[in-house]
Amino acid sequence: MLRVAVLHPDDADGRQLTQQLQRIGCQVQAFWPPVPTLPEGTDVVFLAVQPEITQLEFEWSKSENAPTCIAVVTYENPTIVETVLRLKAKAVLPAPVRSFGLLSALVIARTVNSEIQSQSRRVRKLESKLAGARQIVEAKNILMRTRNVSEGQAYDLIRDQAMSKRVTTEDIAGAIINANEILSMGVVSAVPKGEDLP
Amino acid sequence: MARTTERSKGPIRVGVLFSETGVTSTIGRSQLQGTLLAIDEINEAGGVDGREILPITFDAQSSPPRYAALAEHLITREKVNVIFGCYMSSSRKAVLPVIEKWNKLLFYPTLYEGFEFSNNIIYTGAAPNQNSVQLAEFMTANFGSRVYLIGSDYIYPYESNRIMGDLVLQRPGSEKLAERYVPLDAGPADFDTIMRDIRTQQPNFIFSTVVGDSTAMLYSAYAQAGFDPKTMPIASLTTSEAEISQMGWDVAAGHYTSAPYFQSLDSENNRGALARLRRRFGNECVPNLCWEAAYFQMHMFANAMRHSEGDEIAQIMPQLLGSEFEAPQGRVRIDASNHHTCLYPRIGRAEATGQFKIVREARRPVHPDPYMVTHSLGDWTAKLEEQL
Repeated sequence: MLRVAVLHPDDADGRQLTQQLQRIGCQVQAFWPPVPTLPEGTDVVFLAVQPEITQLEFEWSKSENAPTCIAVVTYENPTIVETVLRLKAKAVLPAPVRSFGLLSALVIARTVNSEIQSQSRRVRKLESKLAGARQIVEAKNILMRTRNVSEGQAYDLIRDQAMSKRVTTEDIAGAIINANEILSMGVVSAVPKGEDLP
Repeated sequence: MARTTERSKGPIRVGVLFSETGVTSTIGRSQLQGTLLAIDEINEAGGVDGREILPITFDAQSSPPRYAALAEHLITREKVNVIFGCYMSSSRKAVLPVIEKWNKLLFYPTLYEGFEFSNNIIYTGAAPNQNSVQLAEFMTANFGSRVYLIGSDYIYPYESNRIMGDLVLQRPGSEKLAERYVPLDAGPADFDTIMRDIRTQQPNFIFSTVVGDSTAMLYSAYAQAGFDPKTMPIASLTTSEAEISQMGWDVAAGHYTSAPYFQSLDSENNRGALARLRRRFGNECVPNLCWEAAYFQMHMFANAMRHSEGDEIAQIMPQLLGSEFEAPQGRVRIDASNHHTCLYPRIGRAEATGQFKIVREARRPVHPDPYMVTHSLGDWTAKLEEQL
């Protein structure tokens, strides 16, 4: 069951919103003025973006796994639109709230939110993969230089080490780069002063 | 003009919803008086094809929820199809869903921050392109581009300050020194710290979007701080003759307001309307931009009714859109595409007489642009005089 927090005054719109959410099977809790922290496990937040809250900071909207935010708006001027963007809302529900349209907005916002979250996870993974590949190239270069081996042999050395130590090739590459930096101390100071050696 | 179709010969009942009490009651009462004056004039001239206009009036007490409840009451109990009213944006926003739900018509005689259109509203006050743009142009050209923004704490000031800030920052060497907000019921203490900050920051001018009774507090705090309007005036869109009468004429003198209407306008329509107003209400009414909008919109409604089968929105709207009226400010027209009104931007400087000296004036009406599709400085059409 979808856990929904409704941050909306207890008025006709607020009631319409909570009732329709209950009709479509959501577990709803409503608060106003907006609470600083959301109930544990909140999946979706409906937030009334009213003029008096445009100055507020909503910490929950900034976290990595922020719940899906849907803005309920009465005004369509730049001040309000900017707040909606700042909250990273994934859908906008115009007030006065009608039952019709809420389900679609909810589904689309949830889908967009989870797509964005999975894509940013994927991007992070790819970024670290890319960084790892760069490290392996650098580590191979170090080995080729210091051990006088071919690129293929350098990679084999890294891979063998990784297998015997049961870590990834990226970890070994990182260790080689670190060791090389430390060993070249005095030649080219690669480690900042005062930093503890590993 | 009378049509022969069968229809009720009873009075035309209209809802009138302003604030006679509360923080915005000075303007609210003047809007009510503008409305009632127009109704008197219409009725004395024989009504609308023989039918009187009968106002059903309620005091919304400057409270948005009360506005909404009274609008609902006017529609469902009093059976009116048209409501004239609202001042603060929050009051219009409270009434709007009620009007739309019942598909009724609201005439809104107040300047506001724009970014709205409703099929069910006719807006007869200035949109930002009809007052903010001209004020920014005038103030930056004459005083400089370092601006200090002060407003009441609600949506109209937020948005107006944003628009003014954006406009001023188009100027070279411009700077937004601060953006401060005070409660709607702010008192002298709220302005003291701001005045100290102004003394330190030395802006070229102060832009005020303070509304209601606290307007007088702001100007008084300014006067007490000993600042000089000749070098660092307050510029406003809402400080009208009504607010000036609350703060004292000497306190207001030298400050600027941008509005399509000032009481001092030298036109026959204006002099006539003011004379009739004095006869009807004596000297207790202080005519201002919102009074004038309330006054002319009622006449535009009556004129439209003369060409309409009835007062339901579907019947009367086609007659209203594109219609014109010789208002005290000049010949105005309701724009058919956005329901706002073509008006005459003017800049007035408050004098020690409690009146505004008009220092700039548009010769032709400026088309309303509520979404600020085009808003750049340099769109000023006419200058009356430049003696500053």
